[in-house]
Amino acid sequence: MFSHILQRLLLWIPSVLLVMLAVYALAFFGAGDPIKLIFLRAPGDVAYDPVKIEVIREQAGLNQPFIVQFGSYIWNLLHGNFGNSLTSGRSVWAMVKAAAPVSLSLGLCAMIVTALVAIPLGMIAGMKQNTKTDYFILGTAVFLWAIPAYVAGPLLMVFLIMVLPEGSVPYGWGGLLDARILLPLLVLSFQPIALILRQTRAAVIEVMSEDYVRTARAKGVPEHVVALRHILRPVLTPVVTQLGLIMITIVNGAIFVELVFGLPGLGRLTVQALTNSDYPVILAITLIGSFLVMASNLLVDVLYPLLDPRASGAKESR
Amino acid sequence: MQDIHKQAAGISRRNALKLGLGSMVAVATLGAGSRIVMAQEGQILKYISPAFSQDWSPLRGGGVPYRFNSFWNASAMYFDDKGVIQPYVVSEWTPSADFATWTFKVNPAAKFSDGSPITAADVKGSWELSSMPATKNQRIDQVLANVAGYAEVKDGKGTDITGIVAGEGTLTVTLKGPDPIFFQRLANHIAPIVKVSQARGADGNEVAEFYKPANGGINSGPFSLTEIDLDAGKLVFKPNANFFGTKPALAGIELTSVEDNVTATQMLKSGEYQAHVELVTSTMVEDLGAEFASGPTIPTAQHFWFNITRAPMDDPKVREALILAIDRDGLIKASFPNGPHAKTDTVMNSVPGEDDPAFVPYPFDAAKAKQLLSESSYGGPDRLPKLLFVGISSPANEAAAQYIAEQWRQNLGITAVDMKPQQDQYAGPDQNAVQIFRDDVGTRVPDAPSYLAGSIASSSGNAQGKMGGYKNDKVDALIADALTKPVDDPARVALAQEAQRLFRDDYCFIPWYKQTMSRWANANVKGMEKNLDWQVVAPWAISIA
Amino acid sequence: MSIADEKPTNLWTDAWKRLKRNRLAVTGLGIVFALMLVAAFGPWLTPYDFLSQNLDARNLTPSLAHPFGTDDLGRDVMSRVIYGARTAFLVAVTVTIIALLIGIILGAIAGFYGGIFDKVMMWFTDMTMSVPQLLLVVVINASLKQPVAQWMEATYLQTMNPIWRNSALADFVLVFGSMALISWPPYARLVRAQVLSIRNRPYVTATRALGLTNGIILRRYVLPNAMGPLIVAVSAGLGTAMVLESAFSFLGVGVNPPTPSWGNMISDGLRVWTNHPHLLVAPALVLAIVTVAFNFLGDGLNDALNPKGQK
Repeated sequence: MFSHILQRLLLWIPSVLLVMLAVYALAFFGAGDPIKLIFLRAPGDVAYDPVKIEVIREQAGLNQPFIVQFGSYIWNLLHGNFGNSLTSGRSVWAMVKAAAPVSLSLGLCAMIVTALVAIPLGMIAGMKQNTKTDYFILGTAVFLWAIPAYVAGPLLMVFLIMVLPEGSVPYGWGGLLDARILLPLLVLSFQPIALILRQTRAAVIEVMSEDYVRTARAKGVPEHVVALRHILRPVLTPVVTQLGLIMITIVNGAIFVELVFGLPGLGRLTVQALTNSDYPVILAITLIGSFLVMASNLLVDVLYPLLDPRASGAKESR
Repeated sequence: MQDIHKQAAGISRRNALKLGLGSMVAVATLGAGSRIVMAQEGQILKYISPAFSQDWSPLRGGGVPYRFNSFWNASAMYFDDKGVIQPYVVSEWTPSADFATWTFKVNPAAKFSDGSPITAADVKGSWELSSMPATKNQRIDQVLANVAGYAEVKDGKGTDITGIVAGEGTLTVTLKGPDPIFFQRLANHIAPIVKVSQARGADGNEVAEFYKPANGGINSGPFSLTEIDLDAGKLVFKPNANFFGTKPALAGIELTSVEDNVTATQMLKSGEYQAHVELVTSTMVEDLGAEFASGPTIPTAQHFWFNITRAPMDDPKVREALILAIDRDGLIKASFPNGPHAKTDTVMNSVPGEDDPAFVPYPFDAAKAKQLLSESSYGGPDRLPKLLFVGISSPANEAAAQYIAEQWRQNLGITAVDMKPQQDQYAGPDQNAVQIFRDDVGTRVPDAPSYLAGSIASSSGNAQGKMGGYKNDKVDALIADALTKPVDDPARVALAQEAQRLFRDDYCFIPWYKQTMSRWANANVKGMEKNLDWQVVAPWAISIA
Repeated sequence: MSIADEKPTNLWTDAWKRLKRNRLAVTGLGIVFALMLVAAFGPWLTPYDFLSQNLDARNLTPSLAHPFGTDDLGRDVMSRVIYGARTAFLVAVTVTIIALLIGIILGAIAGFYGGIFDKVMMWFTDMTMSVPQLLLVVVINASLKQPVAQWMEATYLQTMNPIWRNSALADFVLVFGSMALISWPPYARLVRAQVLSIRNRPYVTATRALGLTNGIILRRYVLPNAMGPLIVAVSAGLGTAMVLESAFSFLGVGVNPPTPSWGNMISDGLRVWTNHPHLLVAPALVLAIVTVAFNFLGDGLNDALNPKGQK
């Protein structure tokens, strides 16, 4: 298992390099020059002075060929230097260090909420397939799935401003123990809950027809015992496979949630870096995003054989 | 002693809990009480910023933080809301007879927030610092372009503007040529005055984040930055005890970033916040009232500019047809039905000489437009390359662009129109295939030829970038001539008006609206009037009723 | 050998019977079918021209003349919603089909052949999954849209075929093509997981002993077995693609105006929803209904197609 993890980590390095190269190239050749953008995006009475802009680009090392710039970026990265933002001049490491904990703790909480809500409800729905309970649970889940985070967010936010007394509007970030986290957490969990709930339900229905479950039920084993002893584990298999997907849903949702609720996280940083074509920040975020998904996939790999002995048997027989 | 010990030992767990709860309640009550006391001493203005700006240096000359500059930085001079120039750090200015050399007297009472005097060297150093390329000041050209030695500094070839000489309490500025309104160009917050010994490093460049309280930031304006959290987008300003002007009435300002405009609007409506740095929504007037949106019209106007080098705009007949096919009364109705901005026909607005009886506005004449298009080298709508708008980024822009596109479809039969927000970057000399730019033009001085020099003269960024290198020698000559005339010479305005009339006949833009500089503050906030530099004129006078 | 002999037709007929019993799924199917019709015949169904403006009838609340009201330029919202169905449908189908094809092929190869194939495929999958989606799409959009638009315009001027003038097409090709290229990994992982769990089952081992090739095993055993989860994923994927399109519009990189899409209508509506709620409600509600329909249909199909799932 240890060598497997090591292998995955080693494989991740070339892939993240490739991804960063791709993102860098797209941003570099297409999206525009961050220095020019500073002057061009400002309203009209800005003098566009090509000579001055060229001097600034030269000072920032942006006039060098693409491959040299990318190479020196990676070289600095290997030395633990994330560089400075090209638009604000701040240290990218400082920006990321401030933003990442916000997004990570929010995302992790959203995952826990998702698991605690979605898996039990999905099992109930699946075991009571085609009953009113099933329809109700499934209907609610699908309804939540259908409302995008960026619609649910502003609606709830403005509703709260109208309802709550002055001074108590839950805007901003105060850490995990602050009540202001509730609303963004809720909005962020909507879609993953719906996703996992439906996957769980589908898996339960499949497992329910397996012989050993039928036998157990026929023998009169109580339903909750059947559920916990025979159904839960095989059901978790496909759900765990979806971990990466949930991660992506949460990462995507975080962008909107952070914008709407004023959370100083990575999502907000992403949007800002993209509009400014600020490569060092974009690349740092790509790196973090890539690491997160890699880590969650690694977790899937570690958990998978534990949950489904057949899959581990397949691996060993190879 | 003994008794106390006994007592302490005798406290049961329940009592301890009670005591704890009690003290918490007491602290909470006291805390709330102290807040009330604070509020009585003076009010806190709660301000919303529409962006999470990562860079609050006062020297950028642009961006959202720029609009907040006058709160915490003093400038050489400034314009009040009537457009009258007022002394600030600089108290007197005298030109030489030929307007090519200017002498400025630094106010001897002027002080920084640490109590040290503002010297002539500080003023010179601040201007130099703003000119350094690494500072990335967006508008410093408007202030110093005509100063001898400026070009070397802005091109990175030096750190010293040789044309500015700092003496004992006076500055002597030598220009490259006569400029009768040079003093007006200094009356803005593009290059505010900072303490050079703290803000400027040995290499002549800005010290990173010198303005932060943690780095001992020293400033010159009525308020001082006391807390800043760039990651959370929160800033707190408190009155500058050493401010050399009027003592500020407010006890402080809290600035919070709220990016969603609907949320911001609701927060303003509920009274949670009282002012906004720049709120652009199509429903501002109906949401927050006319008072919130009111303000002076400033010399800035929004137009749609044609890039005359790109097909089909290379054919003047096509350009004329596209302009004549638009009912521009509808254009303003589609974009700002309730104000605050007003329709305009001309390039320049809100400067002396904006009303030109000889200027003929573009008429709305669909029949003539159709005929012109068929007479053009493209022969009609089908052979016309697709028309691409850029800079279509706000709801009002989008409404206006869609209105124009629909007018062309109805009146000319043109269907191939596309529009992009600013995320796609096309502007600048290396732009591609874009024919129409939505952008504003304007000036920081109430002066007609300066306005045109920044918008239609071939040397302007607007002509080079957005109009694809538009150059009309007659227009250029008239503007250049006008710029040398004294302010009180009627020829200064007359020549500019003539240039504008010539430009009109080149059919290069769709006139849209002239800008109102809104207060963006609730009606109970007094003293929020702004000037043509987008700054609050007298931040010290702001009070909350 | 009875499993191998089972006729697929029986499976599908049975599935259809089971599906018909599920009222939610039938409703979903009906809505999806209606959406297809509207998408195909939209331009003939709209009560008004979706582009024509009337500045004297701005922001009208819903009435008999305008069932969904009018927008800020006095355009009929219902006509725009109907026309937007075409956009939505194209988006969903394009993205999902491309993603699904890539996913099945790569997932099956990885699961089946194992070894180095598995390693390479999974490496590739992980790499693709590890890119933050929105980031990649925004970057692709910002950098490639312009060259493609220019190329299409040049082709138009040579061929005079109006299809090259369809700016929505350019948006689809790029934004949603790039979306598809990064949204296949879930499908691939799903198929691979199914293959892995089925590969060593006794009947599959037995058929392999009988000399059946991997391709046949894939078609006969793996795909039908993977069908349930795959169909759930696809039905969710169709809905997700529509929602994602609206998310992109919210960030300003979706379909550009004046082409109506539910996404850009929602993001426009979000700016004024406290004043004119109908501008948000109409497109958001339609989008929600369609997404829900896809999901009910998917779940129904899953229950129906999974022959073991019946009670």
